[in-house]
Amino acid sequence: MFLPVPHHIHNNTFWLSPERCIYWEQGQAIIVSDLHLGKTGHFRKAGIAVPQSVFQHDLQRLFHLIQHHRPQQLIIVGDLFHSKENKEMELFIRWRESLAQVNFTLVKGNHDILPAQWYTQAGIVTHAEEYSTGGFCFTHDPAGCSATSEGVYTFSGHIHPGIRLNGLGKQSLQFPCYYFGETYAILPAFSRFTGLAGIQPTRQDSVFAIVNQSVIPIQ
Amino acid sequence: MIPPGHTVITEWLTRKGFTAFAFQEETWQHIAQGESGLVNAPTGFGKTFSVFLGAVIQYINQHPADYQKPRKNGLQLLWISPLRALAKDIGRAMEEALHELQIPWQVGVRNGDTEMSERQKQKRNMPEVLIITPESMHLLLAQKGYPDVFKSLRVIAVDEWHELLGSKRGVQVELALSRVVHCKKALNSTPLSLWGISATIGNLEQAKEVLMRPLGVAGIIVRARLDKPIHIESILPDEIEKYPWAGHLGIKLAEKVIPIIEQSKTTLIFINTRGMSERWYQTLLTIAPQLAGAIALHHGSIEHQLRIWVEDALHAETLKAVVCTASLDLGVDFRPVDTVIQVGSPKGVARFLQRAGRSGHRPGEVSHIYFLPTHSLELVEAAALKRAIKEEMVESREPMILCFDVLVQYLCTLAIGEGFTAAQAYAEIKNTYCYAEINDSEWEQVLAHIVHGGNALQQYDDYKKVEIENGLYRIKNRRVAMRHRMHIGTIVSDAMLKVKFMSGGYIGVIEEYFISRLEPGDSFTLAGRNLQLVGIKDMTVIVKKSTASKSIVPAWNGGRLPLSANLGLVLRETFNLAHSRKAKEPELTVLHPLFRLQEKLSHVPKSNELLIEHIETKDGYHLFVYPFEGRLVHEAMAALLAYRISRILPITFSIAMNDYGFELLSDQPIPLDDSNAPELFTTDNLIHDIQRSANAGEMAKRKFRDVAVIGGLIFQGYPGEQKKARHLQSSASLLYKVFSEYDPYNILLRQAHQEVLDQQMEEARLRAALHRIQQSNIVITVPVRLTPFCFPIKVDSLREDMSSEQLEDRVRRMQQQLEKEK
Repeated sequence: MFLPVPHHIHNNTFWLSPERCIYWEQGQAIIVSDLHLGKTGHFRKAGIAVPQSVFQHDLQRLFHLIQHHRPQQLIIVGDLFHSKENKEMELFIRWRESLAQVNFTLVKGNHDILPAQWYTQAGIVTHAEEYSTGGFCFTHDPAGCSATSEGVYTFSGHIHPGIRLNGLGKQSLQFPCYYFGETYAILPAFSRFTGLAGIQPTRQDSVFAIVNQSVIPIQ
Repeated sequence: MIPPGHTVITEWLTRKGFTAFAFQEETWQHIAQGESGLVNAPTGFGKTFSVFLGAVIQYINQHPADYQKPRKNGLQLLWISPLRALAKDIGRAMEEALHELQIPWQVGVRNGDTEMSERQKQKRNMPEVLIITPESMHLLLAQKGYPDVFKSLRVIAVDEWHELLGSKRGVQVELALSRVVHCKKALNSTPLSLWGISATIGNLEQAKEVLMRPLGVAGIIVRARLDKPIHIESILPDEIEKYPWAGHLGIKLAEKVIPIIEQSKTTLIFINTRGMSERWYQTLLTIAPQLAGAIALHHGSIEHQLRIWVEDALHAETLKAVVCTASLDLGVDFRPVDTVIQVGSPKGVARFLQRAGRSGHRPGEVSHIYFLPTHSLELVEAAALKRAIKEEMVESREPMILCFDVLVQYLCTLAIGEGFTAAQAYAEIKNTYCYAEINDSEWEQVLAHIVHGGNALQQYDDYKKVEIENGLYRIKNRRVAMRHRMHIGTIVSDAMLKVKFMSGGYIGVIEEYFISRLEPGDSFTLAGRNLQLVGIKDMTVIVKKSTASKSIVPAWNGGRLPLSANLGLVLRETFNLAHSRKAKEPELTVLHPLFRLQEKLSHVPKSNELLIEHIETKDGYHLFVYPFEGRLVHEAMAALLAYRISRILPITFSIAMNDYGFELLSDQPIPLDDSNAPELFTTDNLIHDIQRSANAGEMAKRKFRDVAVIGGLIFQGYPGEQKKARHLQSSASLLYKVFSEYDPYNILLRQAHQEVLDQQMEEARLRAALHRIQQSNIVITVPVRLTPFCFPIKVDSLREDMSSEQLEDRVRRMQQQLEKEK
């Protein structure tokens, strides 16, 4: 497995994995964001032939991460599914059954539009706006984070953050990243079938870029 | 016996006081005999009438007694033209002739602008003549029952074939022709005669071969042989800048253009980029306010109606001058135009000839063209052009081969209409030049792509596009079919946004990339107007009139054509001549001071030499190389050289280039000398090395966007469904990443890589250039400061990071500095 990098908030340790998820040691939970499962299926249903192995690979990666960290809980901060139901969801259900020992908690994102009973059947507990546990808050859109109560640190996703690194000779590349501000964090999108939105951190913020198979502190 | 058709037409022409050109007579005869071929004639000499009247003569011969009697003929002549805007004009000219001949034929137009009701009418009752674009031709093939349309068809004309050849639209024409030919064979209907119409290109014979291939005949070339004298005159600056840089000099010479405009009836001023054309328009108005109302601007991003107005005004002789880009390269002649000014390098002999031909159309008249350099070195190009034209070194247009994206699109098109069987379709496409070399495995992959969507998790996949029913490939899903119809075509533009006034008036379109860098309140120029950005709403840029004195001129991507190989060759020889002082051309004699300085500091390369300059400045260590092969080859060669040097020693470069040469810049000395130069320029392992050079991946990503759009992977959305469509949108760079990681052998991805090699890197030309360098003397100099040759490249590399004003200040300081050091 690839080496995660520790990051401390309020005396809790969060392990940042190059596989785009966080293991929260004290909470015994994996935190992920923006899986967009079923996105390839959604495209393919419309006759757009994107490779389906992205989806398969995303599920495999998450499975390995769960096996590795053995968490009690998987906290998804939104956009677990991309759109309406399609056949790829059937594979997800089978995959979910093999992980019965793990609790799935989903804070709904703008893409999570499946009917409530679907989540119940899939063994996923959903929260509409936010979910709080162990002194931390979880929500989808970081724009709503300022409203959370004093002293509570929030984890969010939604924007698929990317950081631009400039090299010599006008070279410049963008990488997915973890962003930690004063009151909230933004996770990178877990799905490999997602683009990046550039962020401009201030000096006090911490940013970790994911470059190939390592997590590199940028500031 | 003279056939009746010929007599009717000749008598009609005589009544009008016209005589047919020899090439027209020749074409008529061939068409009357049912033959096929290619007419080679310049614009303005009745090339339309050569084929059109041929079809009419053929009809009269068929019905000598009652050709003037109305009847249900069905389609007789299919006229494929790349230009929507031309269809109306051509149609009008045909209708006029038919009216005078009292032949009751209908002339129909079918393109993206044609109303639905008109299409329906055509479906019920096909006109005898149908003028159609390649895209609409494919849309026709997506209709049920289309083969019946071609039952009565006698003649197909492909207009401006030289423009279509070498593009994916040309491939569309090849595919459509192969379908029509086979439909007619299957119906056992009337014989078909196929005619291309082309301006002069270097590979006319091949152009004919590509067109004739689906029909399976050799075909004849009919040449117009109309010599039109061309008079070229350069506009010389009063003082030669020894440190030239692109873009700057042109505007300074604008004053010299005013008397030319005033002495001429109508002048076309060709500018290479849309951005510069906006600047020129503004400048001309500033220095000659009396021209207000008498000059206009015409380029591809200006609103359609406004462009039409400009074209009409040109016909009506109400304009003194039009500042334009390649947007006016094609199309019908504007009779009143008697003078053409080319600003900056035309990049190729064919384009220069075509533009020169825009003036003085009448036989016996001289075409006048002025060349206005944008930097003093371009004067050498003027001298080179004169020579190239004298020696008729016109460029070739290479036909494209194995475009899988176009094939994927075409097969889906057929699947919407009548459907196809694999064996039949395979046989047909192998009859085209483009797909003659396709192999079974590639064909299987194309079919797998449209039927199964590549590799999939069988059980968990609902990919749906083409379905097979009793061996017939069909698209049955109506939404998929509708979406496909909206995406038929091979012209992929950059993401463009409409620009509108707050009050509602539409101005034109602008690249998203440009506008995304502006803040509300910033001013920019479009269609000759100063506009202030208010905001962006629903894919529309909302603006109001700006009162700011300074505004940003948009830099449109694209439009930066590389120097052609032919012009590069003559250019190298002309440099040779220029320096030898034997030259008599005024363009070359004025440049003597510049060449003297170049020789003093470094060297003026002879045609069998490659000059390399090592220069150290406070920016770092520069290496300038001058192959004169055009910017695309230079970009690839620079990346290749950078990669090969970095294997000797770890080193990073920044790269800059223009049409004459390129620069590698590094913060450490660059290890290139006489001992290793030959092996750094070797053709050994060329493919391997360029694919590993830094920007091959970046280039493939750019190419992949076009391929993905044509191949149906990128869904651009359509009006009314914007919101729903968002879940289906993904950027080309994301798709490129996903395909590269998860489906690297995908046929469309492989095509993008191939296109980078063939077109972006011009691999064949790069290889030829390296071969030439191998046989040349490599001359390495170490000038103490920047030379006249390298200066324009240096400035180009600064341009990317700076606004134009910062740039001008900085360049001026550099020039002063260098002049002082003398």
